[in-house]
Amino acid sequence: MSKDFEQQLRDALRPVDPEEGFEQRVMARISSEPARTRAKVIRWAVPLAIAASMAFVAILGTYQWQERREQQGREARRQLLEALRLTGEKLDVAYQAVNRESPPPDDGNGA
Amino acid sequence: MTAFFEHSIAVLGGMLCLCASASALAADGQLKLPNFEGLADKASESVSITLDPALLGLATRFLDPAKPEDAAAKEAIRGIKGIYVRSYKFDEDFAYPKSDVELVRKQLGAPGWQQLVQVRSRKEQQKVDIYILVEQERANGLAIIASQPREFTIVNIVGSVDMRKLHELEGQFGIPKLELEEKKP
Amino acid sequence: MKASEAWSPDELLTRATAGEAAAFAALVRRYQRTVYSIALRMLSDRHRAEDLAQEVFLQLYRSLDVIDSDAHLALWLRKVAVNRAIDRIRQEARHDNEPLTEADTVVDEVGDADPLLQRRMAELVAQLPPAARAVVVLRYQEDLDPVDIASTLDMPINTVKSHLKRSLTALRARVLGAAIVDDDIQPSVSEPSR
Repeated sequence: MSKDFEQQLRDALRPVDPEEGFEQRVMARISSEPARTRAKVIRWAVPLAIAASMAFVAILGTYQWQERREQQGREARRQLLEALRLTGEKLDVAYQAVNRESPPPDDGNGA
Repeated sequence: MTAFFEHSIAVLGGMLCLCASASALAADGQLKLPNFEGLADKASESVSITLDPALLGLATRFLDPAKPEDAAAKEAIRGIKGIYVRSYKFDEDFAYPKSDVELVRKQLGAPGWQQLVQVRSRKEQQKVDIYILVEQERANGLAIIASQPREFTIVNIVGSVDMRKLHELEGQFGIPKLELEEKKP
Repeated sequence: MKASEAWSPDELLTRATAGEAAAFAALVRRYQRTVYSIALRMLSDRHRAEDLAQEVFLQLYRSLDVIDSDAHLALWLRKVAVNRAIDRIRQEARHDNEPLTEADTVVDEVGDADPLLQRRMAELVAQLPPAARAVVVLRYQEDLDPVDIASTLDMPINTVKSHLKRSLTALRARVLGAAIVDDDIQPSVSEPSR
């Protein structure tokens, strides 16, 4: 039964094409963008290249630290949201049980 | 105000009257959780989260106030100093050591911890116990122990706990409140 | 036959990154259905869906350098499309979705499937909260597994599974006209590989 329902859902959500001419409309918008060009390779004098490499390594080190910190932060956020989700889920079990024991007061309109 | 919070506040109020004169009791609300590392291999799903004050602070910095669920989370954890979660699901009944879960329950017999709610469902063989740590008439810790034959979850929150905000998170993220409304004519 | 049709997907990507317009146009043709459909199911409006789909491809054009394979491209497009759609919905704060008009309720009739039922199901999906809607669309339209959905939406995997389970329960109840019951429907999801 569940699989039939899921198949019906798949059928209802089958991908559809955009209106005719979509590609042309996208390319028209792209045409106002700066053109993409192949990367140019410029040769530098060797001393300058060494200095640039050292600076690059230093910057890369900082960048990598920042990247790691960002990854840690994103992971910590993900864990926090998961922890709160689980907490809410278990509180909900208790909430449902208490409501079953003590149903909301009749507002006078019920039977 | 929901029946749940009316009930819990009534229980809490009664208990606070009894212990109003008590001095600060249990340490800081952090439970000693058994080492469940070996269970991860046996479990079909496992969640082990340890957010001490430093990591919690880091996580908070990465919450996006523009996202409703992040904003709600930030509000809910105001005053909280640590969150510790262990949750495991298995493909067989009681593949986890019940004694370890009971050891955690025993810690909640220490001074200061008050049981707020106890749920027992015979049909689903489900147990849910919720405790709060009361210190100087404030809730400074929360513990939830939920167990079923094929899963258990332990949640320990340290710090000032706002239970209403924690419960209201259901409408913001995670488990959505699904109110599918009729189309307006 | 266009020359671009002879290129492999990865070659299309390489050429598009190098600035070849024909290659980029071929990428648009290749992925327009996916991107547009995600936008349409999320926004429930053809015009807004097309507008969003165009923006996704514009962003792709600017970001080609970070795409390293066709497989990466597919994931990137889905991620950008669905997250832009969620952002758009939240910005517009449209909690009560406008009912789909006849023109917007697109149902690709499949075999002898009931078109009215399909239309109703599409409408109900459009009424789910944004995050739940995104999970359902990525699962049942894009056929992503929960691990990929979690990565696409930057959402914990157990949250994805919760969304799936509760969405299916609610949708089923509304389609069948029954009260919402907790009858333990388990969506057919594959377990994440360990």
